[in-house]
Amino acid sequence: MKFIIEHLSKRFEKKEVLKDISFTFEEGRIYGLLGRNGAGKTTLFNCLNKDIKSDGGAFYFEENGERRGVNAEDIGYVLSTPTVPEFLTGREFLKFFMDINEKSVHNPRPIDEYFDYMSIEPEDRDKLLKDYSHGMKNKMQMLVNIIAQPKLLLLDEPLTSLDVVVAEEMKQLLRSLKAGRVTVFSTHIMDLALDLCDEIVLLNHGVLERVEKSNADNAEFKEKIIAALREDGHE
Amino acid sequence: MNKILRLSFSLKNTYRVNSILYSLKQLPLIKRILPDMLYGVTGLKIFANIVSVFIEVFSVFAGKLLYFLTMVAGAAALYENAPKERVFLHILLFLTVIGSFMNTHIFNPTRDKYYAVILMRMDARGYTLVNYGYSVLKVIVGFLPFSLIFGSLNGVPLWFCFLIPFSVAGAKITAAAYTLWDYERRGNAYNENKLSKFVWSIAGILLAAAYGLPAAGLLLPDTASLIIMTAFIPAGIISAKKIIAFGSYSEINRELLSQMMTQIDTAKQAAKKSGERSISDDTAVTSGRKGFEYLNELFIKRHQKILWKAAKSVSYVCLFLVLGALLALYLAPQARGEVNELILNWLPYFVFIMYAINRGTGFTRALFMNCDHSLLTYSFYKQPKFVLKLFKIRLREIIKINAVPAAVIGAGLSLILFASGGTSNPLNYAVLFVSILSMSVFFSVHYLTIYYLLQPYNAGTEIKSATYQLVLSVTYLVCFLMMQLKMPILAFGICCIAFCILYSVIACVLVYRFAPRTFRLRA
Repeated sequence: MKFIIEHLSKRFEKKEVLKDISFTFEEGRIYGLLGRNGAGKTTLFNCLNKDIKSDGGAFYFEENGERRGVNAEDIGYVLSTPTVPEFLTGREFLKFFMDINEKSVHNPRPIDEYFDYMSIEPEDRDKLLKDYSHGMKNKMQMLVNIIAQPKLLLLDEPLTSLDVVVAEEMKQLLRSLKAGRVTVFSTHIMDLALDLCDEIVLLNHGVLERVEKSNADNAEFKEKIIAALREDGHE
Repeated sequence: MNKILRLSFSLKNTYRVNSILYSLKQLPLIKRILPDMLYGVTGLKIFANIVSVFIEVFSVFAGKLLYFLTMVAGAAALYENAPKERVFLHILLFLTVIGSFMNTHIFNPTRDKYYAVILMRMDARGYTLVNYGYSVLKVIVGFLPFSLIFGSLNGVPLWFCFLIPFSVAGAKITAAAYTLWDYERRGNAYNENKLSKFVWSIAGILLAAAYGLPAAGLLLPDTASLIIMTAFIPAGIISAKKIIAFGSYSEINRELLSQMMTQIDTAKQAAKKSGERSISDDTAVTSGRKGFEYLNELFIKRHQKILWKAAKSVSYVCLFLVLGALLALYLAPQARGEVNELILNWLPYFVFIMYAINRGTGFTRALFMNCDHSLLTYSFYKQPKFVLKLFKIRLREIIKINAVPAAVIGAGLSLILFASGGTSNPLNYAVLFVSILSMSVFFSVHYLTIYYLLQPYNAGTEIKSATYQLVLSVTYLVCFLMMQLKMPILAFGICCIAFCILYSVIACVLVYRFAPRTFRLRA
């Protein structure tokens, strides 16, 4: 399975944020999306998630040589600030999600099994989500996004505000999830990108480009990334 | 001083000009024509500057005109039996004292002050003095024409009409000097936007003295009013020295302005908190349903406080009023004819009442704050079939909630109509009841529809749609104007029912067509 973007573009009035995005993502890999502030990472994610309409171009899956369009249930999108419906308990939120996604959740498990999987303590499972901590809300958001086993998992700066323990748990989780799907992970933290991701992709001047690591060591690779992002001269 | 004057004015003006441009950019149609870079376009800037000057001039006079028109001269005219001049001076004196400490102008923490003193590190003393001097000048200039007009109309001697503006300014300066002295003594910075209970109660007592004493026939003799008011002028001159000599402007400004900035941050938090507070903590609430019905039932049950409970208390109040009216009609048969006449012709009035008791805005607000705000970030939730399914469920719920008080009012009105002598055409009863119900359905549909079609909130729970606010204001205005309309039940009721049915059908069609695209978080 591949996820392919072709000539995707998006402008806001005069500003051309995404110029000509073309890229092929391979199944089973985690892609680290790096870009400077305002480069359009979130815009790209929003276009892929169909939150905003793109101006041109297309994106689709290619399975066994056949193209197919992207449906809402194919995408999991985890935002940097976790948002969960405050008036539900963790258990109720999961039940609601499972209810309405009956068709797309294959071999559903008992709800507690999911909680165990995310290491959410039994005493927290029946609390209202408004009383969850930041890290726990983040776990819930992640959980809801992965239960349906989306083919494409988009993560917008997901680990930045988590404590070290939860961040490590999440990293492990992402690694364990990467088989069978495309994971795109945007971040400003270079070490995180190098540590977690199989490939580094830069969003620069409105286009996506892969950075070849070949046989450079980490320090050289970092230099290369910085140099590529700096090139345009707007320091 | 000159430089500070120039700088602080240009800063204030820039702030205002940009606010004007920003609000232009929010208007539904105009925003399309305006370029993205509007803050740099000279023509627009000149236009906004003209508007800004106009606002400034307007602000000098408009408030004072209203003040004299309503609170002083207007109120004084109500006391028909008292001598005009004495009442006028009596009220003016007490209000001047209240205004002197409620509205000092010296430490009114505003954003432009924050920018100047905290961010740009302007000299706090110079800045405060220059701005204070200007505001005192504005008081004098703004008061002068109206004290002359309204004063002489009320028989106040002309020489004193000239003195009134200076006396008001003197009182304000004296109060300001007192707050500075108080700061030196106790270290308490006086924030006129956050008054203590003590100050509020003094203001209340003085207000009662201003309007209550004349009603009781007790008035200050006019010589006393004249002497006290005149005495404010030398007091102001002496106090002005204190204000100029005061040394801790920097500290006091920092204290007040930092309070203000934390207020702005906490305002957002408070909105979020109040949204969360409306969620009942009762986890014993459960639901045996499935999917969206499950979500909806939990939402309704956990928001009892703002939905069903509110609707029920309104219903009880209405029931109580209806019973009261029936009792009154029974006890006072002579009123029956008049009441009958009222009921038969005042149905349009109830549009406004139904508007006022409708839970629609509260419902959509809670829906967004506590539910959609988060769920709209999940793509599964945005699938068209789910959006529409939930719309249907929610519409059913809000109609149910609003129907309870509507049924009480509708049935109550029919009963009152019957008890007050009835009507020759029995159809009136049915139309009365059905039209009240259909009004409640209309408001339920209306609020939910504009919420789904315009979805005005962004991820930060701020309202970002001027169109939405415009629609709300127009709704209010139309309902308000309905109060002026007098029409027989049959004519108005049938029009009203027809309109509500038509509107609901159109609204639902629009939602089904467009909501899957419009029901998104705003960028």
